[in-house]
Amino acid sequence: MESALDSKATLDRFLADVERRAFRMAKFASGNTDEALDLVQEAMFQFVRRYANRPPEEWNPLFYRVLKSRITDWYRRTFVRKRFLAWLGRADEEEQEDSLQNLPDPANPNPSDHILRQEERTALEKAIRRLPLRQQQAFLLRAWEGMDVAQAAFAMGCSEGSIKTHYSRAVHTLRGLLEDQRS
Amino acid sequence: MNASDQEKHFLEKAKDLLNDGVENLDNQTCQCLQNIRIGALRATEERRSGFFVPLRWIMVGGFATATMAAVALFFWLSTSPGNLPVKHAEDFEIMTSQERIDFYQNLDFYRWLATEENGPRRGNRSNV
Repeated sequence: MESALDSKATLDRFLADVERRAFRMAKFASGNTDEALDLVQEAMFQFVRRYANRPPEEWNPLFYRVLKSRITDWYRRTFVRKRFLAWLGRADEEEQEDSLQNLPDPANPNPSDHILRQEERTALEKAIRRLPLRQQQAFLLRAWEGMDVAQAAFAMGCSEGSIKTHYSRAVHTLRGLLEDQRS
Repeated sequence: MNASDQEKHFLEKAKDLLNDGVENLDNQTCQCLQNIRIGALRATEERRSGFFVPLRWIMVGGFATATMAAVALFFWLSTSPGNLPVKHAEDFEIMTSQERIDFYQNLDFYRWLATEENGPRRGNRSNV
């Protein structure tokens, strides 16, 4: 009984640790808050159903593997839906990004620093959204989540060479996009 | 600053900005994420407490049953040719001959009768 409670607490801590980054990753891919929340929900439920009994040290790549799978499914569904709506001439009905994220943080003591930093963040996020899905995921898993090449390859379900290629291209593209914006 | 240092600097900055984005999530989204997490953990508890037959075991059981049925059907069909009336060449001869089938059915009796008839003669000769 005690071990069940321990494992539940460990699982809770793990999910609390990854949920926000998972949400941001899903939002980079979907560009929409509600869709991102749905993706995180699907990923969390599927993860606990399938992998909660696995050792906690394996959870991180497994969770991102599930999330990546959900995002890829969503991407395919959306692609078909967009094609269908475009065929019907109703492509504009797709939801647009909400502006809540861009509101200034009132807790920040220096508004000018905040604005500069927010501009940089917005520019980076826009650049990440413009990346192809595979490059986007490889970049986020490697640069943000801190996974090594093997873990990222497992999470994305592809070869290590493929991860290196996607990551390298993503870094190159992002630097190019951000330098263009600065100039 | 060489190219490697520039890339390292860029990645550190990117990571910093991305972490910034996570920390500045609005309360509504944070609450939604928390609810999702609680729901997922509750689903784990329900799964542990309730009687649960994993789908894969149902699939394995179904596959095993189908395999057994296929094997049984195969053996049943493969034994059928053994029940055919014609097994050997001599049987084929019997089937195609003009003799009445009663003759072949009583063949053992005729053999015994012949033995009985020939036996005492042989015995008489030996006595002679």
